[in-house]
Amino acid sequence: METTKFAIPEIIFGRGSLKYAGQCALRHGAKKVFLVSDSGIEEAGWVQRLMDVLAEAGINWIYYPGVTSNPRDYEVEQGAKFYLKNDCDVIMAIGGGSSLDTAKGIAIIASNGGKIRDYEGANRVERPLPPMVFITTTAGSGSDISQFCIITDVERAVKMSIITRTLVPNIAIVDPLILRTKTETLIIQSAVDALAHAIEAYVSRIASPFTEPQSLKAIDLIMRNLQSAVQTRSLDSLEQLSIASIAASMAFSNASLGAEHALAHSLGGQFDMSHGVIHPILLTSVMRFNLDSCVSKMADIGRVILNKNLGSDKETAMEGINKLDEFFASFDVPLKLRQVVNKDDQKHLEPICKMAVNDVCNLTNPRSASWQELLTICEKVW
Amino acid sequence: MAPHTTLEDLVGIEHSKLGFYQELQRKVEELKTSNNELEEKRKEVQALLDGITDLMVVLSEDLKIQSVNHVFGEWYPEADPIGKKCYEIFNEGDSPCEECPVLKALDCDETTKDLRIYEEGGKLRHYELIASPLKISTTGERTVLLFKRDVTREKEFQAQFYQAEKMATVGTLAAGVAHEINNPLTAISGFAEGLRRRLSRIQGKVEDDLYDDFEEYTDTILKECLRCRDIVRSLLTFSRPVASTLRPVDLNQCIEDTLFILKHHFKEQHKVTVKTELYKKLPMIQGDESQLKQVIINLFTNALDAMDGGGTLLVKTYPLEDNGAGLIVKDTGCGIPQEIQNKLFEPFFTTKPAGKGVGIGLSTCYSIVKNHNGEISVSSEEGKGSSFCVRIPGIDK
Repeated sequence: METTKFAIPEIIFGRGSLKYAGQCALRHGAKKVFLVSDSGIEEAGWVQRLMDVLAEAGINWIYYPGVTSNPRDYEVEQGAKFYLKNDCDVIMAIGGGSSLDTAKGIAIIASNGGKIRDYEGANRVERPLPPMVFITTTAGSGSDISQFCIITDVERAVKMSIITRTLVPNIAIVDPLILRTKTETLIIQSAVDALAHAIEAYVSRIASPFTEPQSLKAIDLIMRNLQSAVQTRSLDSLEQLSIASIAASMAFSNASLGAEHALAHSLGGQFDMSHGVIHPILLTSVMRFNLDSCVSKMADIGRVILNKNLGSDKETAMEGINKLDEFFASFDVPLKLRQVVNKDDQKHLEPICKMAVNDVCNLTNPRSASWQELLTICEKVW
Repeated sequence: MAPHTTLEDLVGIEHSKLGFYQELQRKVEELKTSNNELEEKRKEVQALLDGITDLMVVLSEDLKIQSVNHVFGEWYPEADPIGKKCYEIFNEGDSPCEECPVLKALDCDETTKDLRIYEEGGKLRHYELIASPLKISTTGERTVLLFKRDVTREKEFQAQFYQAEKMATVGTLAAGVAHEINNPLTAISGFAEGLRRRLSRIQGKVEDDLYDDFEEYTDTILKECLRCRDIVRSLLTFSRPVASTLRPVDLNQCIEDTLFILKHHFKEQHKVTVKTELYKKLPMIQGDESQLKQVIINLFTNALDAMDGGGTLLVKTYPLEDNGAGLIVKDTGCGIPQEIQNKLFEPFFTTKPAGKGVGIGLSTCYSIVKNHNGEISVSSEEGKGSSFCVRIPGIDK
């Protein structure tokens, strides 16, 4: 076995664990916290709740509300200026992947300077980042656990992956109570995102004995709980989903992803669509494409999905993927690309696939994928 | 565009969450260096402060001592000054001194100087006080740095300088006067000589009484002329002492010679005992024998004059550290009052009754001794006697 590595932040998990945010910041020497969030979280009241927690701990903060979905390079650079101008010392973010990635980008620029695109790729951040304390409100993106940061390069219309161990936050707080205010769409999107993370990490070329059980656990929890979470919104189901998300994040942060995420990043960069929308469309197609390269692993996944073993590994794997299609179809989500991309934009698919080939995620895909092959996948799901 | 990424990059074995450890270490090193530099600077400043021989205290607005330098400990070894009021230590008083320079410095916000005379151990000592307001207090509280410098010696030197300058002026004046007097004096004396030569021609031609009167008056004129001539000569010596040739002289021999000359003089003073303590191996000095004798005569006659009612005259010689010779002439006479001691060596200053002295004896002594590069000083106590001390440097110092 190759030498491997497994790194995750301190994770504080539990109902009401938001109340520890202040102490977490204090432990990292916070006097003035740079608080990143967006208007949706603000409206749900969580920003105010977090501010109360900080105030109770006697910590000052500067609130930076400038988060949009699919954060852009200039937003991050502006945020860093704001951070430095206000002499902050700890970065705290509450929100989904966008808020957390914005916070990560700000952290990089604030302590390393330059433009965010200078750090695209792996291990290019050289100076320590401000301590990061992240509170997820989606339990899907995994940004609160992972060494990934995805920022859109506006000029090139591409989502840049910035990967470095130093981007692993210091503390991730997952409070299932926060998840109760999620919309149905958001519950589905973040769960499917986590599912995609788990599956792609499991078949990744650098999956390890430390990531694989996390992947299977995540797949299992999502398959068993998403339906009831959407229907009943029960706290128990949401809690199980958030555990699944953490498990999937632990897996993909260390094992990376695959061609499906490479495509998703390129599509997202081009069309500014919500990341979670793409997975039900693409995931099973990419799995079928990969199947022959990792039959036994796909069978493992199939066994978890089906909760049983069929005649052969291949059968089990195939049936698992089919079952997954059914699973996605049971939710009110788009299953074809044409549902989310204009007909006129179909011509962009070729450049998108050419770009996706170079995405870092494509590197760990179990089967080498050319842009033509990726384009074929896209055309199949059009 | 990002450089080519590999699977190893993603695993990132050699990369980890960057801590501030290195930065911290660098910071600690920087702080250490800067701390060392500051410590060096502090020592330098401390050495400068320690080099100051004046007493320094830092006072608060209410005159409480906040800190002192090492000189304070030397001057006031007993006192524990911090927190006490300055006047409690310096003046042993219970209220601020009049026209306190510290308060003045605070009022005007500028450096103030003052000169104070304190009596310490029966002696008057002069102190210069310099108070400077300090503007370094972090609390905004105003403080004053007070210097206290002992300027007693400076004051003494200054007084001596004034004295020497005065003497020089008076000397020039005396020389001028002496020259002016010399000419008429020569004429008077010449014509008086002429009269005396012609006296024989009128002998028997006038009444004897008249002749006797003429003779007596002429003699008196001549005698007084001679006296005047001596005075004038002394004055000239004082102002412009003859550029006499200095040669090795035995001070003891001078004293013995002088005592011999004055033998008869002493015999008349029955009640005066003369004691000599002459140091046997007294070093030779470079000097003018006749001038030195003049000094000795002067000191002896002064001493005798001071002991009208009898007493002891002690004549003592002793070697000096620089191979020179010292002479002490001590009497048990009436003494010299404190207030005129510093006028003794001025020309024309005399305490003798009019006619008995003209006050150039000691001034002449002064100029002779100075010309020998020596010193003459007096210490005296009224009613107990006086002691004159002459110190002449050796041939090769």
